[in-house]
Amino acid sequence: MAEPVRFMQQMVSLEYKFRASPTLLEYGEALAEGRIAGHRCPECGLVYVPPAGFCTICVVPTNTAEHGVDVADRGIITSFTVVDPIQYRGQKETEVYVLASILLDGASGTIGQQRIAEVPPDDVNMGMRVAAVWLPKDERKGFDPRGGLGGAIRHWKPTGEPAATLEDFAEHII
Amino acid sequence: MRDVAIVSFAQVRGDPESGVPEVLMLVPIVNEVIEKSGVPRREIGFTCSGSADYLTGMPFAFVQTLGATGAWPPISESHVEMDGAWALYEAWVRLQHGDVDTALVFASGRPSMGNLDEVLTLQLDPYTLMPLWPELKHLAALQAQAVLEATGRTEKDLVEIAVRARREAAANPYAEVSGEFEAADLLSQPYVASPLRAHDCAPASDGAAALVLVAGDLARELCDRPVWIRGIDHRVDSQYPGLRDLSKAPSAKLAAEQAGADRGPIEVAEVTSLYTHEEILLREAFGLGDEVRVNPSGGPLAFNPTMVTGLIRIGEAFLQVQERKCTRALAHASSGPCLQQNLVCVLEGE
Repeated sequence: MAEPVRFMQQMVSLEYKFRASPTLLEYGEALAEGRIAGHRCPECGLVYVPPAGFCTICVVPTNTAEHGVDVADRGIITSFTVVDPIQYRGQKETEVYVLASILLDGASGTIGQQRIAEVPPDDVNMGMRVAAVWLPKDERKGFDPRGGLGGAIRHWKPTGEPAATLEDFAEHII
Repeated sequence: MRDVAIVSFAQVRGDPESGVPEVLMLVPIVNEVIEKSGVPRREIGFTCSGSADYLTGMPFAFVQTLGATGAWPPISESHVEMDGAWALYEAWVRLQHGDVDTALVFASGRPSMGNLDEVLTLQLDPYTLMPLWPELKHLAALQAQAVLEATGRTEKDLVEIAVRARREAAANPYAEVSGEFEAADLLSQPYVASPLRAHDCAPASDGAAALVLVAGDLARELCDRPVWIRGIDHRVDSQYPGLRDLSKAPSAKLAAEQAGADRGPIEVAEVTSLYTHEEILLREAFGLGDEVRVNPSGGPLAFNPTMVTGLIRIGEAFLQVQERKCTRALAHASSGPCLQQNLVCVLEGE
């Protein structure tokens, strides 16, 4: 008598075609040139990085030609986490590292998941001022479907300037 | 039950090649329905949206679309992983609580980003049906055959439905398929899945829609002709098509009864017939005679944004009543294979 079926395997995969928005492509082009470019809302003045193509508060469409504005490639760590990578299958990280949210000078909100390096993890602090370490120009892939910076910026390092005070970034701590 | 009216509606067709993000399809139409409603954005009491993350292949894709609401200060919000018609149902229930008077409902879908046939196959029973990978149109073809056998109708009856839908759709600016077609030409085309040909099947469109609900006297204050939801109900049949008599849509019939569709004459019906034979089934389930105009917009056979098409049926029925083309209309949304789940909404002008 045949063994009763107890398990069966059903492999499923779905494929998707991602089409980048013009705004995201322009953001990527700027990154490839070494600029971090956002949109400024014409109504409330908030500067969005990366730009969404509209202001999520005023619900007004924005575009790079009319509302494009460059922000600095330096800013303040508003919050951070020290990652001690578990060696699960597929893990590429082996050493302790730091990911941070950074409030760029000139931007109205933070960018998340930014790699902090050239400093011992124990010395990273909220309020620490950091600057981008760009990849060499010929190694930069500006465009990222998620609007990330990782294709153009290797990591961020402390500038050595005095730390920002809490009032400078208190509204941006999540 | 508390009286709830639809006061504004808007829809948009997406361009699959444009790369416009889903949220930017929604921004102009959400702005439009809020402006037309006369309700200040900050005073909307509840927001509910419908979409499916599987269409874009991104977990929590629906959260990004919330940007279109201008959610600051924070809003009271919910989402259904369903057609926007069910988001409207949740908003209607929410308004029954009596503590808020207004609700925004919206839905969006971009099936062009993935393979809709494969995505929809994943909603089937995962043990015995899904592993066979039947596409929605294959199951629909089984139902079409059952309907033709049970009713004595033929493929010529089906093609007449398609010809009429495409003709009606010529006046619909959002239609993806429209115009004058000869039945004989369409019938000379090959089967997609016998007895269905291409003209029997709705296109898979990108698109979005939004509307505003207002309860009670506030609706009369805001709007010259509020369109009242006189009844709304949704019912479901067995998930497994093999357990059903596919020549009938019992849950559609029950939903119409519970929504009180038979309490007065229905003049216009907007139904989610994704295939021509579904119109035959739904006419029978709802007891609609030949005098009832079905899908004057062209229906899903003309414009069918996945997860939005049911909400558009309600919106198109709303426009029929608001523009005084009729006083009582039925709108229908469906979900699942072979009209498995059905929502019916009865609308009336004063």
